Amino acid sequence: MTVRRSSVVLTATVALVAAAAASMALGAVHVPLANIWEALTGQAEEGPLRQIIVELRLPRTISALVVGAALGVAGALLQGSLANPLASPDVIGVTGGAGFGAMLTLLAFPSAIALLPVGALVFGITAAAIVFAIGWSGAHAGSIGRVILAGIAITALFGAATTSLMVAFSDRVQSAVFWLAGGLSSDGWSSLSVVWPYFLVGFLMAVFLARPLDRLALGDDVAASLGGRPRLVRLAAAAAAALLASSAAAIAGLLGFLGLVIPHLVRLAGGTASHRFVLPASALCGAALLVAADTLARVVLAPIELPVGPLMVVIGVPLFLWLLREAV
Amino acid sequence: MIRLVAAILLALLVYAAPAQAAPRVAALTPFSASTITRLGVRPVVVGQTLGGTDQYLASLRNVPVIPLSHPLGPNMEQLATYNASIVLSSKTWQRGTPAMRRLGMKVYESDPSSIAAVGHETRAIGKILGRTRAANALATKIENDVRAAQQGIKRRPRVLVILGVGRTPYAMLANSWGGDVVAKAGGQLLTQGLRAPSGIARISDEIVVQRNPDIIIAVPHGNPGAINRLAQYYRSNPNWRNTRAVKNNRVYVATGNQLLQPYPGVAATIRSVRAKFLKNY
Repeated sequence: MTVRRSSVVLTATVALVAAAAASMALGAVHVPLANIWEALTGQAEEGPLRQIIVELRLPRTISALVVGAALGVAGALLQGSLANPLASPDVIGVTGGAGFGAMLTLLAFPSAIALLPVGALVFGITAAAIVFAIGWSGAHAGSIGRVILAGIAITALFGAATTSLMVAFSDRVQSAVFWLAGGLSSDGWSSLSVVWPYFLVGFLMAVFLARPLDRLALGDDVAASLGGRPRLVRLAAAAAAALLASSAAAIAGLLGFLGLVIPHLVRLAGGTASHRFVLPASALCGAALLVAADTLARVVLAPIELPVGPLMVVIGVPLFLWLLREAV
Repeated sequence: MIRLVAAILLALLVYAAPAQAAPRVAALTPFSASTITRLGVRPVVVGQTLGGTDQYLASLRNVPVIPLSHPLGPNMEQLATYNASIVLSSKTWQRGTPAMRRLGMKVYESDPSSIAAVGHETRAIGKILGRTRAANALATKIENDVRAAQQGIKRRPRVLVILGVGRTPYAMLANSWGGDVVAKAGGQLLTQGLRAPSGIARISDEIVVQRNPDIIIAVPHGNPGAINRLAQYYRSNPNWRNTRAVKNNRVYVATGNQLLQPYPGVAATIRSVRAKFLKNY
């Protein structure tokens, strides 16, 4: 690994550690550092401060970390497999499907609110499955253009269904806005406990897809001549991205920006498009950015919590534009 | 004799004068519909959100309902069929106001966001309908009733009022309708000191744990039939399990829309909140 890539990984790791430390230390309630340490090491007595650290901040920090990493990896997988710099979880219908699933629960069946993560996950994966079924069937099955067009159509379909729900239940939209804007909640481990297997499968698939995606970057013909199966690799990468993005949406709502921008940021900073670098670095940078943005969202107007999506954009866009300018 | 003739002539004149036609009023909010009914004017149509459970007076059951699902509030073609001369709308539907005015309707946006504004809004509606005296009397009665409903408050428990459903609470602040009602009923809002333009804000569970509410009142959007399930959902929130409200089994789910929307009968709502939730008589 070159010095440049190593320094990107090191910087991202330091940023992630710092963001996680801030996320544990800062919040609506001031908790002295000594109490935080005692709570984390199991030495603290039962009480509100211990509950705040162990049951509210710790699960939230871990959730932000996992979701950020998942979205960064999902974006890198999609941009690599579809050879499209604009690819993100939106492109394969995941965002539209997950958004519809969540809105259906929040607006039409609010009494089934406990099923919100399941609804988002199921509809996110369903939307992606429909896109794959259309994209990988008929003439030119598995071609990039076909997959992207199918994704746009299915996203539009679910988007229209979501809008219809919001119009029909306009008096209930307020409680759904936060989910749409993207944001983590302090609901302990409940959401993560539902979706962690999907995260695990998605991350494992990403690990095994790094080399095949590098071969795919040389073009389908070259990849095939090297013994690869381009369409299968593309399908596997898109499926892994769908799992990761749907699971992320189930926990944190719609945070499409991360999946789009983080892989570009990593490539620009590292000076390479190799997936053996881009995938882990995207995971680190995505996690660091989301943990930092979530901490800000909790403390800027504490105890009022802001949606994390806009804050993440505020932090991420200047950095991204600076890197873009430097690269040019 | 002259006086008798004059009286007969005056009576004939009054009888012969064309009767003042009652205004055709479209009342898009429960507050305006209830207010004008109390002023003796029956609305030609009332508004209703599709997902909502807006509550109208029993006497208005046969009044046509217009859905408020259009971006402008009511569908203008539907509204036009009722030939309303006055529309009592609200800020929520203000995008539709210019279109209503173009249809020749007089529009007044009336939806008080605090109890203190109820009297003023009642008088303003009375003025628009030409029933100033009746409106003044009604407003004064409402204000007196509200004062009476606040008498004898013995305890001021700390209360968290939450809106809708979600994994993190949306709290009703003091400048929301529901927050104002609970405060007037003797509750100390857990969100005291916080303000947001909309009157509601997503608040950190950390602050709920720290300030430890005595009572949690949830105002969901669910159907009344699902209240028990919702109550169980709120009670089982692991983050709240150590609060006095959960430990003492004082997590309540408010049915109806009385804490969501203003009503002229707010004094009754205050009494109901005190009796059902705060138990501070």
